[in-house]
Amino acid sequence: MRLERHLAVLRANLRLSFLLAMQYRWEFLLDGAMSLLWTAAAIVPLYLVFEERPRIAGWTYGEALLVMGWFTLLDGLLKGAINPSLVTVIEQIRTGTLDFVLLKPADAQFLVSTARFKPWRLLALGASIAIFVYAFSLLGTGPTWGGVAQALAMLAAGIVVLYSVWILVISVAFRAVRIDNLRYLFEAVFEAGRWPSTVFKGVLSFVFTFVIPLALMTTYPAEALLGTLPWERFAAAWAGALVFAAVARGVWLRSIGSYTSASS
Amino acid sequence: MHERTAGLAASLRSVFRREHKLVKAVDGVTFSIARGERVGFLGPNGAGKTTTLKMLTGLLHPTSGTIDVAGHVPQRREAAFLDQIMLVMGQKQQLIWDLPPADTFELNRAVYRVPRDRYDATVNELTELLELGDLVKKPTRELSLGERMKCELVAALIHQPKVLFLDEPTIGLDVSTQVKVRDFIRSYNERYGATLMLTSHYMDDVAALCPRVIVIDKGRLTFDGSLDELVRNVRPEKRLTLHFRGDVGDDALSPLGQIIERSEGQVVLQVAQSELAAAVSRALATLDVVDLTVEAAPLEEVMSELFTRGRAARAREAGREPDEAE
Repeated sequence: MRLERHLAVLRANLRLSFLLAMQYRWEFLLDGAMSLLWTAAAIVPLYLVFEERPRIAGWTYGEALLVMGWFTLLDGLLKGAINPSLVTVIEQIRTGTLDFVLLKPADAQFLVSTARFKPWRLLALGASIAIFVYAFSLLGTGPTWGGVAQALAMLAAGIVVLYSVWILVISVAFRAVRIDNLRYLFEAVFEAGRWPSTVFKGVLSFVFTFVIPLALMTTYPAEALLGTLPWERFAAAWAGALVFAAVARGVWLRSIGSYTSASS
Repeated sequence: MHERTAGLAASLRSVFRREHKLVKAVDGVTFSIARGERVGFLGPNGAGKTTTLKMLTGLLHPTSGTIDVAGHVPQRREAAFLDQIMLVMGQKQQLIWDLPPADTFELNRAVYRVPRDRYDATVNELTELLELGDLVKKPTRELSLGERMKCELVAALIHQPKVLFLDEPTIGLDVSTQVKVRDFIRSYNERYGATLMLTSHYMDDVAALCPRVIVIDKGRLTFDGSLDELVRNVRPEKRLTLHFRGDVGDDALSPLGQIIERSEGQVVLQVAQSELAAAVSRALATLDVVDLTVEAAPLEEVMSELFTRGRAARAREAGREPDEAE
């Protein structure tokens, strides 16, 4: 019954998102086209850097492209499935219409997380597959089935972390009300995920592994595809992802408890 | 809550140092409402009405005390509880701005798991009662305020809630739409036996809908009883309106009661209940009366007098105990 209700809500929200996408189809098509353009443009610096040197921090151009592929996929997911809801909920907190979400007989975190999607961003999926194919053609090999399975499992962990970070950002919105800056900061930091994590040294390396684990989101899946990701690291990453999810859930529940709404 | 005085300097100060003050929005309010009752919830601005409604619907968590609505603790937000209640807010809307209201209805159908046939029947019935017709298929942003409010009501009632909280449902609406919404709310209550709790600044809403009223002021309960009783308590005097022929001087009228309004051939008098019979017979004997009506004081006046008394009482209390800040 509970699951059924939540699935029905998800279906209804997806339907609404498609309707909205149709309503403003030019905006959304342009949005999709722009994201493809940005992906193509983002490969340029990578190409330029590798033209100077064959290897950077142990990565060849082809290998680094795999990281780029996962980044493109996650970026599409972030902007297509996560950010639209985030923008919606922040607005709801500010205007107090989050009241209506909390009045609904379903898990509030679920309702808030599935509020809005941007279907055109799914184009990123196609772009990332194209990058993977190109990268492996440069490398002259292909991934093993085991590697693909491990990479997908790693991607799932990456999504869990990305989503948890996002829930934490919203929780801040309950206290700070307006957090546009925090959102931009997060997006800017996320951009670093397009580089293999070993490129970063010192403090940055620590931050990108443990605070905002970008390594887990893009570098580990790329290593899994290459067959170089040790299983211990894989297990540790999943454990970390679960801790992230649990902390996010706890913080979220506390935030809902202290929600003050906006006055009538 | 965080507060600051208006102005740029104060605003800048508050960026660095916020002054916090604990405000008790609602304090020691106790009441119970029977199933199917229609209750008006009144109080001046900032009395704590909305806060109370939000606690009753589980949106806000009370710091102390207990709340039981339909056998549930609201703040637990159990599905079995939320399935039975709804809060309609005249100043906030749940309709999706860029899509027609019918799409929001569909979303609510999914959330509340309403079977398709029951959903169709409910939506048809509600849209007919509110005379909405095909408006539910127009994007929300193209609807007038009144049309939007009617659609809000439909969206709120798709799951046929048994307990309905209405916070200023008629605010900003023109008089005829107000009447329509009011009639609709009453027929919903009668048709589904739903319990209603309503706040409104329009006393006509309250007079038309609510046999019982609960009044709070500064977060404290100041009255709980029937509307008639409230009027009798606060303003026991009646309004006696006389229409008469001929020229009559004030000296002939003032013995009947206190003159409130005077115009050519008409006077409105305030007369104590106990002296009403005497005043009427005297008027009939001494004046050439064409028409005569006896009414209670207008509700607006009754309420404003009640709130003024409340303020005066608090001022007296504060005077006696200067240490206790309000």
